[in-house]
Amino acid sequence: MNSASSRKLNNKNTSKPNFWQSWLDGLALLTWGSLLLKYAVTGQYKLLIHPNYYGLVLVSSIILLTLGIVKIKLILTSTRQHPREHLALFPPGFSSSLLVCVAIAGLLIPPKILTSQSAIKTGVRDIPSTRFQPQSFRTATKPEERSLIEWIRTINAYPEPDAYNGQLANISGFVLHLPELPDNYLMLSRFVITCCAVDAYPVGIPVKLETSRQTYPPDTWLEIQGEMIGETLSVKEQVSSKAKIDKRSVVLAAQSIKSIPTPADPYSYQ
Amino acid sequence: MNQLHSAFTLFLSLLVEAIPFLLLGVLLSSCLLFLINEQQLITKIPKNPVLGAIFGSLIGFLFPVCECGNIPVARRLLLKGVSPSVAISFLLAAPTINPIVIWSTWVAFGNQPQIVIFRVLFSSAIAIIVGSVFSTQKDPRSLLQTSFARRLNPVFNSNLAAEAKNTPGQSPGKSPLLQSGSFILDGGQVLPFNDSLLLDADQSQLSLKSKGQSFLDNLLQEFSELGGMLVLGSAIAAMIQVFVPREIILNLGQDTITSILAMMLLAVIVSICSTVDSFFALSFAATFTGSSLLAFLVFGTTIDIKSIGLMTSIFKPKIIIYIFTIVAQLTFIFTLIYSYFF
Repeated sequence: MNSASSRKLNNKNTSKPNFWQSWLDGLALLTWGSLLLKYAVTGQYKLLIHPNYYGLVLVSSIILLTLGIVKIKLILTSTRQHPREHLALFPPGFSSSLLVCVAIAGLLIPPKILTSQSAIKTGVRDIPSTRFQPQSFRTATKPEERSLIEWIRTINAYPEPDAYNGQLANISGFVLHLPELPDNYLMLSRFVITCCAVDAYPVGIPVKLETSRQTYPPDTWLEIQGEMIGETLSVKEQVSSKAKIDKRSVVLAAQSIKSIPTPADPYSYQ
Repeated sequence: MNQLHSAFTLFLSLLVEAIPFLLLGVLLSSCLLFLINEQQLITKIPKNPVLGAIFGSLIGFLFPVCECGNIPVARRLLLKGVSPSVAISFLLAAPTINPIVIWSTWVAFGNQPQIVIFRVLFSSAIAIIVGSVFSTQKDPRSLLQTSFARRLNPVFNSNLAAEAKNTPGQSPGKSPLLQSGSFILDGGQVLPFNDSLLLDADQSQLSLKSKGQSFLDNLLQEFSELGGMLVLGSAIAAMIQVFVPREIILNLGQDTITSILAMMLLAVIVSICSTVDSFFALSFAATFTGSSLLAFLVFGTTIDIKSIGLMTSIFKPKIIIYIFTIVAQLTFIFTLIYSYFF
């Protein structure tokens, strides 16, 4: 009697985790499907990945949701468990619970826009020659119609700072204070994403102000109109190095500065 | 708090970029389980050890994508009489030499095509070299884990017998109780690790419905297992990027030798699936040398805590240490050479 009841208990113990595991598997699929769908529908995916992969995210969300529904349906209609030929290192249910928790956290907490803090950490490149493969750029564009990124590309393709003297510019980006620059200079910057937010790197153009940069705190979004000039600035040679070198750079001498709200797509993509 | 939120965003960004590729890899691997006829494939394996190793490294294109998927396949191949050199080169190459992995590496490192190309070249070279090295050992059983080798005895004996035209001796029956050997935990059940586990999966006899059911089972299991690994790996990557002081990372990452060693160590610890590990590596692209990223991509797919754990079900510990050492040295040398050219 005693042994019979204990056997019964054992059976229950072995079948119950399987049951919960199936539900967790189904739930993991459903929550991840909805998270990806949410990013695709709200446009928040642009804060996380390059828009080229929008289709991939949308299709995956649909596949995940479908699989999740099929799985739940199977749990409800059949109780038989299939022995699986597969090796696992995690205790059963651990992986799925982890996936479910992350997806729920993702549904609750919106992604954050990268800030000047991470920009200083990554290191701003005014002329990011290592990452940019100079591609075709439109020289026909009027200077004052170029965006910040187009300016960077132009300067990158033809890195002769004094060639841009006197050209008008009208660019927008966020404020970055570089400690090595004098107090009346700020960097107007943007993040560029090649694949996803982890590889985002900031690019920027130094802006010469008439006042102290403290008027414009970091991370404020500004639209600045002015004239390009060539100037010699002392900048760090590399992000890591402490030594500074004097370098001829293209600088925007600000004439009018307007504060603007953070745009819906704050990043540039390449 | 702000930092934590940044880390969380980077973490999500890695996951959102990687999950579609993981899903694709798992879908493909589950489909191939049913489309490929292993028996036919085995008859096509060349007898020459080097050609066999090359063949083994190429069948990654046809077989399940990730490490945990291809270890059962390697075991089945061995049980069907395939030589260990072919199985080893298959194990080492399959996680890299397959369309999804090459595509996801391209997505991550499209602006540095040399990384994509050399990842494939180095991985296949390492797989072929290691496979050829082990082909010098004629009796495969000395490489294999004792209980697995015992399971292999009938296969091996019958191979010998076929050659010597002798009748193989029957192994004496064993009591079903008190069996020695390895057992694996599977969904809360303890299963003896033996032939029955491996050979019963003869897919050709299954009905369409149960095929569909096991397709779904395989898919779900791989997705949740690899997804869990991915979550842990992405969390590590995001935290290193946000919380470790930049000076430390740059000091480590800008030097040729320390950067390669650091990334190889990271590769062992972070058992992220090969389909999506290029996104993990991408988060170090700005701070680490190209050769160290390559070291991560080549070494991490073949050797990490997870795959070592899985390999213990096939090979003797000594052999795993050999494989580990040879692959580590080859990766180091190859990427060091690479660093002088790029």
